[in-house]
Amino acid sequence: MYIKILKSKFINFNLFIIFIAGVFFAFIILVLLTLVINTSLKEFLYHLYSPVVFSAILISLETSIVVVCLSFLFGFPVAYLLALKNFKGKIFLDTLLDLPIVLPPLVSGLALLLLFGGDSWLGNILNHWNISIIFTKKGIIIAQLFVSSPFFIKTLKEAIVSIPKNLLYASATLGASSFYTFKSVILPLCKRGVWAGLVMTWARAMGEFGATAMVAGCIPKQTETMTIAIYMQAMSGDLASATSIALILMILSFISLFIFKRRLKYEYYS
Amino acid sequence: MSIILKGITKYFGKQKILNNLSLEIKKGEFHVLLGPSGEGKTTLLSIIAGLLKPDKGEVWIDKYLVNNLPPQKRNIGFVFQDHALFPHLTVYENVAYGLRAKGIKEKIIKEKVLNYIKLVNLIDYQNKYPSELSGGQKQKVALARALVIEPYILLLDEPLSNIDAWQKEHLREELKNIQKKTGVTTLYVTHDQSEAFVLADRISILHKGSIEQVETPEDIFYHPKTPFVATFVGATNILKGKIIKYNEFTVQFLVLQEGLTKPLIIFVKKYPLFRQKNEIFLLCLHPEKISLKEKPQLENRFLSRILNIIPHGIVLKIMVDVYGLKLQVVIPKINFNFDSFKDNIWVCFSPDALHPLCGKCYRDPEYRKCNYKTNIVK
Repeated sequence: MYIKILKSKFINFNLFIIFIAGVFFAFIILVLLTLVINTSLKEFLYHLYSPVVFSAILISLETSIVVVCLSFLFGFPVAYLLALKNFKGKIFLDTLLDLPIVLPPLVSGLALLLLFGGDSWLGNILNHWNISIIFTKKGIIIAQLFVSSPFFIKTLKEAIVSIPKNLLYASATLGASSFYTFKSVILPLCKRGVWAGLVMTWARAMGEFGATAMVAGCIPKQTETMTIAIYMQAMSGDLASATSIALILMILSFISLFIFKRRLKYEYYS
Repeated sequence: MSIILKGITKYFGKQKILNNLSLEIKKGEFHVLLGPSGEGKTTLLSIIAGLLKPDKGEVWIDKYLVNNLPPQKRNIGFVFQDHALFPHLTVYENVAYGLRAKGIKEKIIKEKVLNYIKLVNLIDYQNKYPSELSGGQKQKVALARALVIEPYILLLDEPLSNIDAWQKEHLREELKNIQKKTGVTTLYVTHDQSEAFVLADRISILHKGSIEQVETPEDIFYHPKTPFVATFVGATNILKGKIIKYNEFTVQFLVLQEGLTKPLIIFVKKYPLFRQKNEIFLLCLHPEKISLKEKPQLENRFLSRILNIIPHGIVLKIMVDVYGLKLQVVIPKINFNFDSFKDNIWVCFSPDALHPLCGKCYRDPEYRKCNYKTNIVK
């Protein structure tokens, strides 16, 4: 009798979980499906080959890949420092990294505009060397880097922290230098974290809009990324165009994330 | 090489983990640090290895003060409780790790690694990953990895605590043999007294952050100096007694214990520190030195009642009630015939079975001489 009650409670609980999860996924699929339903194949192909859209895809891919590389370059030392070293002000720096994530991108964009604008001290120095950031691809990269690199750093930091301390101690007692330990223990053991962080950074950079628009503007074929192109097309009343670009962005993101997750699963089980 | 620890003190926050601890471990010795969990054993090993810095005190390895030397430069082999094997490396690569880190030529690495893998009998497992090994095999890899760098000192932090009971005995023997073969000075940390007695040349008992007694396993077992050491090594019968009479070879004690149904007077061997009447001492009565008889024997014999019998391997742990005093008796199973004992039984022990627990003292070949003042229980 008691077992029967337990069993029925267990089944009811599982049904409840499945129902809630089903509702949530249905919501996600419905939103994404709307994009597919509202785009005909003909329109989709037409926009895919249009020079403006094609250029926006290229700019988005180019800048986001550069951002991923820069995040890796700067993010690794920062994550290593925050994960393994104890120093005063560590919590302050850690919180500082959260700000680009929680701040509205428009605020980040505004700050970057003020920092790199022609009237600022940095803008003046850069102008002196003929380097312009505002309304250029460099501006896009800086805006995307500011907003998305914390995703890589945070993920990587957690991956490094999750490495058992005794492995690092064992490495030290075996005579390994800090660099040897990094190369031979930390790097291989946080590989999943590195990939996860890079993919998140890339996805965030691809989807970045507010900060990029503030810093780089919306110059077609020069600084118009996919997200900006979607906004511009939608604002000019060309919803079909906006939907097609959005669909391309969605397909690109889904394929990349899916391949990554398959790869991770393969590594995990092998 | 020898290890000398002088006045090591370590705090974690406001909690004092190690309290002015001093210890000397001789060259080539297999030394076991025995103590309950949470008493700072691992902290002490970490300090010796250089993974933690002491708040006070000095760590000497041979003639060198190593307080400011990083772990990489101490050349100490450390076997961790959880093995700490690199999960992404094979057995061979794990063992080779320390040599590769030191930039030794691959040809020499191969020769040394295979030697040590053979030493721990894992030659058929050299290409396996740690996840494919049993607990015992992992521990052997960790040992080979620590030994292959030819350390001055080997530190083992409860290496057998995660191993199945049936594998432990075999691994203990192997560990002891390997230590003998390599001759490396070894400090082994455990909370398991049976492990300590099997392995150690000398044992240190750690209690409340200090070393309470350092002696050979036999001396620790038969001559514990303090109530803590006595209880920890299994000599759980501790009696508080007052000297009431002096005889030629023995002293008569009146047991001072609440709840006794009648006065309990026991004969104890006459130790030099028993100097005058009415002095109060703590006395240790070893459970294995008590016998249970149908008829009274020896100087100390009391008719008593069996409270319970707990089988413990090849021995029985029997709790008896002597006039309201509970005593533990340990006897081999084979010597105990359940049918011959009724409710009442004679608990018998000689005056030699007891000795005073006298704190900081030294042992004479014939007598246990103790510092007179530290012995008196106030």
